[in-house]
Amino acid sequence: MKTRIIGCGNLQRMDDGAGVLVAQRLRELGILAEVQSGGTFELLAGWDDNERLILIDAVRTGAPAGTIHVWEGSPPQLPHATHFSSHGFGLAEAFRLGQILNCLPERITVFGIEGDQFGMGEQVSPDVLTATERLAQQIAKEFASDLQQEAVQLAE
Amino acid sequence: MSRAARTIRVDTLARVEGEGAMHINLVGERVADVKLRIYEPPRFFEAFLRGRHFSEVADITARICGICPIAYQMSAIHAVERALGLRIDPAVRLLRRLFYCGEWIESHALHVYMLHAPDFLGYQDAIAMAKDHPEVAQRALRLKKIGNHLVALMGGREIHPISAAVGGFYKVPRPEQLRTLVEDLKRAVDASIETVKFAAGLEFPDFEQDYEFVALRHPDEYPFNEGRLVSNRGLDIDAAEYEDHFTELHVKHANALHSVVRGRGSYLVGPMARFNLNSDKLTPQAKQVAADVKLNPPVRNPFRSIIVRAVELVFACEEALRIIEQYEPPSQPRVDAPNRAGVGQAITEAPRGILYHRYAIDEKGLIVTAKIVPPTSQNQKRIEDDLREYAARLVAWPLDEATWKCEQAIRNYDPCISCATHFLKLTVSREER
Repeated sequence: MKTRIIGCGNLQRMDDGAGVLVAQRLRELGILAEVQSGGTFELLAGWDDNERLILIDAVRTGAPAGTIHVWEGSPPQLPHATHFSSHGFGLAEAFRLGQILNCLPERITVFGIEGDQFGMGEQVSPDVLTATERLAQQIAKEFASDLQQEAVQLAE
Repeated sequence: MSRAARTIRVDTLARVEGEGAMHINLVGERVADVKLRIYEPPRFFEAFLRGRHFSEVADITARICGICPIAYQMSAIHAVERALGLRIDPAVRLLRRLFYCGEWIESHALHVYMLHAPDFLGYQDAIAMAKDHPEVAQRALRLKKIGNHLVALMGGREIHPISAAVGGFYKVPRPEQLRTLVEDLKRAVDASIETVKFAAGLEFPDFEQDYEFVALRHPDEYPFNEGRLVSNRGLDIDAAEYEDHFTELHVKHANALHSVVRGRGSYLVGPMARFNLNSDKLTPQAKQVAADVKLNPPVRNPFRSIIVRAVELVFACEEALRIIEQYEPPSQPRVDAPNRAGVGQAITEAPRGILYHRYAIDEKGLIVTAKIVPPTSQNQKRIEDDLREYAARLVAWPLDEATWKCEQAIRNYDPCISCATHFLKLTVSREER
C-alpha cells in the first residue's frame, strides 16, 4: 500500500509549525515524510495516487496545548469549527473538495497537535514541542515497518 | 434611498492569501472612507535578515510566502548577485525562467479557478462551485499539479524550494527529467486555452479605471526576471533607481506602508500591467487566444484580470515547453560567490506583480540592510482607490451583496496580504449624512 506522510504548517508562525516539526523528526528517524504549507490545493494535488495518507497539522479546538488528536476515515470526520493551522482554507476544505472530485485516498489518518500561539516567530510552545516528539515516535513505531519498506522501494 | 446607517461586516474575507482588514465607510451615497489594513511579514523578515549571510537569503525569503516562494527567491538572488557583481550563465538564466513558469502556473491556476471564479459564478467558495462544476475544479487541479511537478523538479521539493542559490542552482535537472513534463505541459497548454475561454465567458461589471500600469519590460521576452521597469506614464528605469521613483507612505490604519509613484500616487502591478505593457512579447498562440476573446490592451477593467491571468497561463505553459525543448544543462550550475561588500537591487515579476528587493552586504558577506516591497503592498493603495470608486456604485445595493462585490474587487488583485496566513476582515459601514 502506497503511503504518504505529510506534515503541514508554517515554521514562521510559532505553533503552526508543529506538523512540519513532526515531519522533520520522522525524516531524522529514517521515515519518508514531506512538508507542505497545508493549503487546500497543495494537498489535493498530490493525493489521488496514494492509498494511505497520514497528515499532521496544528489545530485549535480549545483543548490544552500539546494535546494530540486523531481523526480517521475517508474523509475523516473533523470536528466542526476546528481551526486547522493558520489557514482559512486548508485541510477540512481539501477533504470536502477531494470527496466532490472523487480523489481521496482510501485510508486517511489526521493527527492534530493542539497549538497555543500562532503569531509571527519561530518559537514553539514547550507543550507543543513535547507533543511533536511524542507523535513522531508514535508514528515511527506504528508505521515503521511499512514505511521503511516503501522507502527502500522508492530509493531503488 | 435610505439614509439609515448601515454596516456591512465580513469577519473573514476568504480566498485571499493573507491577513488584514478592509473597512469601507459609506455616508449617504458617498464613500467617505476606505481603509485597507495589512499586517505584513516582509517587514519582520527585513529585520530577521540583518546579520545573516547572503547565501541564506534565498531560503529565508522563500518562507515569506507559500504561494510565491520562487518570486522571493528570484528577487533575493538577483539582488544579491548584483551586489556581488556576479555574472550568470545564460543556461542558468533560462532555468530560472522555467522555475518561474512553474510558479505562475500554480499560482494563476489557483487564483483563476479556486479563488476568483466562485465570485463570478455566484458561489461562496470553490467547494460549492465544484459541486455544480466538477469539471472546472478538475481542470484547475490538473493545471495546479503540472505547476507543482515543475516546481518540485526544479526546486527539489514542492513548497519552500531549496535548489536556487546565489550564483545559480545547487542542483540542476537532467534533460530527461525535464522531458518527462513535456506531455503534461502540452495538455496544460490546452487546458489553459480552455481557461481563457472559460474566463472570457464570465460576466464583468462595467468598471474601468485610469491606471498607471507598472511592469518589467524586456526587449525580447515577456518579463520574469529581467528588464527595465516601465509604465504607461513614461516611467523607464533600472531596478537600482526604484527607490528614486517610488516611495512608501506611512498610513495610520495599516501596518504596511503604502507604495506610491513619487508625485503621482497609486499604481497597478500584476497580470493586467504586464499584459498591457508587454502583450507584444507573448507567444503567438497566447496572443491569438487573447485576440479571439477580444482581450486587447489596454485592459482597464480590473475584473477582467481573470482573463489576463488565463492568457498568462497559456504563455507560462508554452514558455516552459520552449525552455525544456532547448534545454542543455549549464556547464557550471553555480558560480562561486565570494564575500564582497556592495548594494544590489532587483525586481522580478511575481504572479501578483513586481517584487522589489534591495540588500546591502558587508565585506564578510553579511546582510547590513534589507528592503522588500511585495506586489500586494504596491497594489494596496490602488485597491483602496478601486474600492472608493466601486463602492460608490453599490450604495443602493443590499449590504451583503455590496460586501461580496467589494470582496470580489479586492480579489481582482489576487492579494497575497501576509504571504503566510489567511484572514482579511472586511467591514462596510453606512451612516446618515
